[in-house]
Amino acid sequence: MKAELLAKPANTILIEQLNANMGRISAIIEEQGTALFGAQGILTADDIHEYSIEFLELLVLVLHAGEQLGRRGPEFEALQKFFANSARQIQVRGGTLEQFVRYVQALQRVLIEELEESDEYTFEQSREVLLLLARLFNDLVLSVFQAYLREKEQTIQVQQEELRKTSTPITEIWDGVLTLPIIGSLDSSRTMMVMENLLTRIEKERARVVVMDVTGVMAIDSQVSHYLIQMVRAIGLMGAEAILTGIRPEIARALTSLNIDLGAVTTRGTLSDGLKEAFHRLGVEVRQREGGR
Amino acid sequence: MVAGMHLTALGDGAVLLEPSEGLDPTDPDAYVVPLLEYLQQSGATRLIYDLADAVVVDAVYYGWLKSLYNACRVTGVTFISANIRPEAAYALATTLEETPPFPCARDVEGARRRS
Repeated sequence: MKAELLAKPANTILIEQLNANMGRISAIIEEQGTALFGAQGILTADDIHEYSIEFLELLVLVLHAGEQLGRRGPEFEALQKFFANSARQIQVRGGTLEQFVRYVQALQRVLIEELEESDEYTFEQSREVLLLLARLFNDLVLSVFQAYLREKEQTIQVQQEELRKTSTPITEIWDGVLTLPIIGSLDSSRTMMVMENLLTRIEKERARVVVMDVTGVMAIDSQVSHYLIQMVRAIGLMGAEAILTGIRPEIARALTSLNIDLGAVTTRGTLSDGLKEAFHRLGVEVRQREGGR
Repeated sequence: MVAGMHLTALGDGAVLLEPSEGLDPTDPDAYVVPLLEYLQQSGATRLIYDLADAVVVDAVYYGWLKSLYNACRVTGVTFISANIRPEAAYALATTLEETPPFPCARDVEGARRRS
């Protein structure tokens, strides 16, 4: 009997514990869930009950998968998914990730306390079970955090994309004249996006002149000026003409100190002057109507 | 006829050059002399190079365009590129270290009108 007990692996011990005390463990888990989520109305009693049952069922499946817990196996993936979905659901309902992590810690604590109450296992066996639980729950918490960070990153990326699109609006202000106000800073990814959009618009609108206004560019370095020159060059290759406007004095100074030669680029002080130049090139004359105000 | 390209006289001294698949831009010498002979014989004053079918205009292709431009310039023919695709313009603009010396037109009609 003693030899049989000594040979018993940690996962088998836990399965035995769970099978023998399933009702009590489930009730304690529900209590913990209610304390964390019930009072604030984040989860209903039914939700908490279902969470508890599903968690225990999935945990038993993982434990049955073997001593190594098959942490890349389908059982563990199912448990990870359950935790990731639960964390998302709780956050959608107004809970926090911290509350969810506390819930996961509570689940682990319940299982450890159950083990403490039993005196039929040796110190080594108890230690093995504790190590197994620590490994299992650490992995689960880590996967919850990874899923949370992934979602956050995706949200940030979507927001950045939106911001980029809206911060560089290309407008056809007149037949054959496009305006491109550049606000903020230019980096390689933004330049790429702006250039792609701009060149496609030049082709689509059959634009002849592009007025690029940099009034909203706060700082310029050699890389940014290089991007601007690339844009001007690409516009020229498309058979359109580029007019650069709104170069503020400090930007002009930076450009000269960087030895950036804008000699081949038509520049005008303001967007208004740039538009006048564009109209001039198209042979369009804008005049005040007689008697107009 | 010049191998690797299709040439069409458009009138008013303009000739349209449409490169064919057989064109090898790594070997400009194979095309420049016969092309200039054709241009001189037809009294051309303007060569419009149609880039509509060029998916990629890389450094090699750009080198070919430049050698053609230089050859045209010394023989008194205006070289103009036309119809470059946005993606080709983008790729070329990001690799170029200089502003192309030849004028670029949006399309063939624009190249014909260009003074």
